[in-house]
Amino acid sequence: MPEVLVPIGPQHPALKEPVNFKVIADGEIIVRLELDISYSHRGIEKAAEARDFVRVVPLLERVCGICSHSHTTVFVKGIEEAMKLEIPKRAQYIRTIVAELERMHSHLLWLGVAAHEIGFNTLFMWTWRDREAVQDMLEEITGNRVNYGINEVGGVRRDMTPAVVKAALARLPHLEERIRTYAEMASQERTMLLRFRGVGRLTEAEALKYGTVGPTARASGVTYDVRKDDPYLAYADAPWRVITDNHGDVFGRTLVRVGELHESLNIVRHGLENLPEGPVRLQPPRAAPKAEILSRYEAPRGELVHFIRTNNTDKVDRLDIRTPTLANWTSVAVTLVGQNLADIPVIVAAIDPCLSCTSRITVVDRDRRETRTLTWGELRAHGIRFYREKEGI
Amino acid sequence: MTEPLTLGAVALAMEGLGIPEQVRGNRVKVATTPENLREAIARATSALACDHLVQISTADNGKGFDLVYHLTGVHRTVIAIAIEVPRDAPEVPSVHDLLPPAGIYERGIHDLLGIVFVGHPALARIILNEDWPEGEYPMRKDWKPHPDRFYGGVPKEET
Repeated sequence: MPEVLVPIGPQHPALKEPVNFKVIADGEIIVRLELDISYSHRGIEKAAEARDFVRVVPLLERVCGICSHSHTTVFVKGIEEAMKLEIPKRAQYIRTIVAELERMHSHLLWLGVAAHEIGFNTLFMWTWRDREAVQDMLEEITGNRVNYGINEVGGVRRDMTPAVVKAALARLPHLEERIRTYAEMASQERTMLLRFRGVGRLTEAEALKYGTVGPTARASGVTYDVRKDDPYLAYADAPWRVITDNHGDVFGRTLVRVGELHESLNIVRHGLENLPEGPVRLQPPRAAPKAEILSRYEAPRGELVHFIRTNNTDKVDRLDIRTPTLANWTSVAVTLVGQNLADIPVIVAAIDPCLSCTSRITVVDRDRRETRTLTWGELRAHGIRFYREKEGI
Repeated sequence: MTEPLTLGAVALAMEGLGIPEQVRGNRVKVATTPENLREAIARATSALACDHLVQISTADNGKGFDLVYHLTGVHRTVIAIAIEVPRDAPEVPSVHDLLPPAGIYERGIHDLLGIVFVGHPALARIILNEDWPEGEYPMRKDWKPHPDRFYGGVPKEET
């Protein structure tokens, strides 16, 4: 069978965000992948150069709707390092609690999306229902569900009252029980085992070579986690461990994320129970001295980096953002080779790509000189049908 | 996780390429030249056991472009290899073969700053949209949008 070019997107691979893949396939098997991620470039780095440190934080919060707290924390912590500010402990704890709640809602969202991509919509409904509990906690703590608006240079903008702390603690036992259920399901449920095991394999050497970060890397046995390697906020105080796995496939990435859910819950509980007394913010100077800072942060999807240059003014001279998804794309191009076309949705979803979308596929038949379009829904249905016929599930 | 790298160890490995300085705990920066870049990266990945490229940071300093290659490894020390590229001839040897993830980052930098990575197999556009005019690099400090040009999005007559 001749090689066929299958352009996927830009309207929609895996998650609802625009990215274009040109998949070169020989029959059902993928030979090569080319990538175009140009559809959602909004010039935020350029816009950041024109806003002072107060006005730039809400802008950076909007880099991403899921890791909104990650982008503001990594930025304000970089500016605070440039200004040589020591932030009150209570503010560090509140930032940590919000950061870990964000990781929990992000991982629960991913688990639901991954389940949806393999046609296991019951799990999708369950995880998204439980994610609501986390969203409610975030809303009670910060006042917002998506862009929390809690960070500013010098601390946090909102204190936690004893009532909020108590309400948050009261929600944790139920969540803990649900996470335990998902951990059991991820390692035993037949549909998940059939569709996740051996799919999108990446060895430890490959994970390092192709620069993967976050749960994608840790599922291949790589131990990088910025929270341990370059501790920030209150991570040095909290009891937790870096979750790794040696399967190196989508199954491993699921186990790592479920394991991290549990660790995050423990960090949140530790933070709520040991919240230090004191102020939550200090008055920062208007301008930052000339400095060059590399601020690193472990976002839900992996290592997030803001390279910041300040120049004695109240604006950044340069802000260079490297998001975890950009680091993980190289590995997707590698893991897809030799896999089935039917596995594209779940392999792409397994790195938890963070872009924004709705999509279709154009199938090009080179011999007949014909093109026809497939919607993402049809590709998903193809994936589910393919496995149903092959495995009888 | 092993012990962090000492300034002395970095100085020894980078001998003849540049003098390293300790920026803060766990961060060492070495300034070198574009000609020595590949040698510096090769020594960082072999002698200093760096296996992860954190970021290729870029900045327009007014006179030229600064590129900072941040690498880390099992020692968790971030080694920053900094070079400056002249504005009139912005060419840097590509390191995509030494560090595969650099391939995608170099494409992004080429889009935004117009730096040419010599030896890159496909320096195609990846960040900017297909309607963006050729030869305009938005992250350069002297870049201004041209009022008559179309930069993508919905064309004016259609709105």
